[in-house]
Amino acid sequence: MLKFCVKRLAFLPFVMFGVTALLFACLQFLSPEMRASLYIKDPRQLSQLDAVIEKYGLRKPVYIQYGLWLKQVAHGELGYSETAKMPVAQAIKAFFPATFELTLIAFIPIMVIGVYFGVLSAVYKDRLIDHVSRFVAITGYSLPSFVLGLGLLMVFYGKLHWFPPGRYGLETDMLVHLDTFRHYTGLLTLDCLLNGEWTAFTDVAKRMVLPGATLLYISVALLLRITRSSMLEELSKDYVRTARAKGLPESVVIRKHALANALIPVVTLSSLLFIGLLGGVVITETVFDFPGIGRWGVQAAQQLDIPGVLGSTLLAAFLFVMANLASDLLYAVVDPRIRVG
Amino acid sequence: MSARITPMIRLFLVVALALGSFPTNVFASAKNPTTYTYLTISDADSLDPAYSYDTASHMIVLNLYEPLFQFDKTSTEKLIPLIASGVPSRENGGISPDGRTYTITIRKGVKFHDGTLLTPEDVKWSIQRFILIDRAAGPSSLLMEPLLGYASTRGDDGKLLPTVWEDVNRAVSVQGDKLILRLPKPYAPLLTILASWAPVLSKAWAGKNGDWDGTEQTWQKYNNPSKESSPFFERAMGSGPFKLDRWDRKTKEFILTRNDAYWRAPAKIKNVVIKGVNEFGTRKLMLQAGDADAIYADRPLLTQLQGIPGVKIIDDLPTVEMNPVVFFTYKINAVGNSFLGSGKLDGNGIPPEFFSDKDLRKAFAYSFDYKGFIADVMRGKGTQATGAIPKSLPGHNPNGKKYSLDKKKAEEHFRKAYGGKLWEQGFKFTIAFNTGNLPRQTVCQILKRNIEGLNPKFKIDVRAVEWPTFLDAYKASKLPIFVMGWNADYPDPHNFAFPLLHSKGDYPTTQRFKNPEFDRLVEEANAETAIAKRKVIYAKLQDLAYEEVPQLYIIDAVRYRTQRDWVKGWFHNPIFPDSPYGGYFYSLSKE
Repeated sequence: MLKFCVKRLAFLPFVMFGVTALLFACLQFLSPEMRASLYIKDPRQLSQLDAVIEKYGLRKPVYIQYGLWLKQVAHGELGYSETAKMPVAQAIKAFFPATFELTLIAFIPIMVIGVYFGVLSAVYKDRLIDHVSRFVAITGYSLPSFVLGLGLLMVFYGKLHWFPPGRYGLETDMLVHLDTFRHYTGLLTLDCLLNGEWTAFTDVAKRMVLPGATLLYISVALLLRITRSSMLEELSKDYVRTARAKGLPESVVIRKHALANALIPVVTLSSLLFIGLLGGVVITETVFDFPGIGRWGVQAAQQLDIPGVLGSTLLAAFLFVMANLASDLLYAVVDPRIRVG
Repeated sequence: MSARITPMIRLFLVVALALGSFPTNVFASAKNPTTYTYLTISDADSLDPAYSYDTASHMIVLNLYEPLFQFDKTSTEKLIPLIASGVPSRENGGISPDGRTYTITIRKGVKFHDGTLLTPEDVKWSIQRFILIDRAAGPSSLLMEPLLGYASTRGDDGKLLPTVWEDVNRAVSVQGDKLILRLPKPYAPLLTILASWAPVLSKAWAGKNGDWDGTEQTWQKYNNPSKESSPFFERAMGSGPFKLDRWDRKTKEFILTRNDAYWRAPAKIKNVVIKGVNEFGTRKLMLQAGDADAIYADRPLLTQLQGIPGVKIIDDLPTVEMNPVVFFTYKINAVGNSFLGSGKLDGNGIPPEFFSDKDLRKAFAYSFDYKGFIADVMRGKGTQATGAIPKSLPGHNPNGKKYSLDKKKAEEHFRKAYGGKLWEQGFKFTIAFNTGNLPRQTVCQILKRNIEGLNPKFKIDVRAVEWPTFLDAYKASKLPIFVMGWNADYPDPHNFAFPLLHSKGDYPTTQRFKNPEFDRLVEEANAETAIAKRKVIYAKLQDLAYEEVPQLYIIDAVRYRTQRDWVKGWFHNPIFPDSPYGGYFYSLSKE
């Protein structure tokens, strides 16, 4: 098992090198003037375009710029992100915990509800619960997240004043930036609790309800559908018929026999889902004014903020490899016939 | 199994209700009465006054620091003293008879946010620093030109000019409690520039935090710096009505707190929150819920804010901008240029000198529907521009000649252009605009529709390009026509006349348009300090621009503001950065 993990982790630098080299190769197509657009935003600055190109060394061949960037990486620096207005490493540290927290808050219900209702749908195929689950799943899957997000905001914030957008209100903002507030985990809800700040916790938690619910609703559909079809397939197999013939209770047949086998594609999908959420959910973060990694990554890409793009890509590559590794390990847990190593 | 659904849903509802039951948005009158919250879409670049050249940063700077003078409330002409104890003039001897020496007495008793006293040395150092920092694409040239006579501390080779230190010390000095500014030649807009730029920073604080110490030996190290290297990038030490509590770059939020030791009466509002929220729907809901006191909204979205209880829209506010403007490139760069078509006057393209023909430019001017644009795109707000200088500035001639949509005259000039060959052969080329700018897009489409309607052989493609692509083509003079605009750095006609009409200005350089008469008039007006004489010169410039048509000026735009009706004390000065949306918060209160 350890050997397997080490082998997969050893692969990580090559993946990262590959994606960054590919990105730099793409930059060959952009002129220095185009790349200078990151620094020139106003017509008043246009006369200084050459000076900007000179200052940031944008006329140097791309392979030299890549070499310089790799040199920076070797020194533990990832460059400066113009869009985040901070060094890339600092930006990742600033944006990633928020996304991670939101992902955790959304992912656990996604798993529970997706698998639970997926199984129910399969077990009660063509019954009311199946129709309702599928209807809800299809609407969630087909509903654009900004429509759902804005709709939720209008009702639960605009009308009911329950769940405001943003990361925190002014009072919490002041509090969490005090020297006395300790950031134990980087996860704000948890840190508020650990600091004994119940009001701040409530404020932060309330602001995560709607983005969490949006992610839940738009993401749960796929998991529910996969669980359902996988369960249906397993339930039609001979070993299930045999188990039933042996007189095992239906709950045991479903949970111990069919579900265990049906979970393998669910594990694959859920790891991809988790990565997708961790990589940042741009529209949800934008609608709810949530300062996550996705919003930053897209902004960096739109504005040709090369260090920002490279930093967020590196993070995505890292997460992808780690999630693949985790799902490989989970296969063995779900199905004892699979061994890793 | 289905029986277990109910407890799960019940649990969710209980959690939701428990969290929702805390009253965050319950309000009867002004919500958070001591805090003013403004939601914007802009992202500040740097808080260093010598580095930042964007509206979002400059707005924060305006509230944290103070320049020598400030515009009196809504005026763009009358100045009131801030760090200076009076406004210099020829009458009071503050400006020498030859217009080249300014003597400014510095106010006593002003304190920085750390409690230290502001001195004339701080003022001198701040102005010198503003010039010497001179970052690429920064604002330093605004003061360098009047005080040093040139626009960059570096030559074309990127090396520092040898006389910079000597020049800056000759230009900016202190005698007792007086700041002395010596100009190489008279420069009429100097006071308005000083009212908008180079506010006073604490030299002592800067020294302690690793910034320039004011000496000859070290200034080169701070020239053209990286943004984040400045201690003023994310911190501040000024004397303004507000102190910087924090710039949270993660949440794109600025929190300012009242400076209770301010030399004037302290601001009425205790906290100011300026926050970037990109999504309009979210901004609207926050304004509606009272969590925001003012928000930025594009004009087409304004209808969505009308009728919301407690929300006020203040419209028809003047601007100091000229936007959009249609620019003709006189000599288009034909190398690898897809905007030109065949590159010849053969009906499938245009030659590089296409727009050097005056009749052609006039034909385009008569082909644009100015009234329709204002009525439909700007919803009837604004008036047709009569020249490059907006009507809120002196030098604007409201009676100046202007073009109107006249298809007969347009055809007449098209027939005259290129000795009649153009009308026979036809043409084809592409107009580009930067993606996402609806007014500019509409300008292109109006030109296309009207011109193509005159002759089936006339073909114009309209192409939306991303900003990087636009910039690339713009810089290389590859765009036959481009649509852009200009916002004032300071409220003086020279700030429009030079960049738009002088051959060394930003736009004529790219247009490759040069006319010695334009240059002469722009320079003459700038050297003249008597406003009446300047107006006469600018009127001549305006007439010449009408006759030569290097650009099409479309609208003297107006702006608007959306705020809660509990916000009191707000006023609009178009030169304040981001006004009317953001601006100056000193006079605000909530009732």
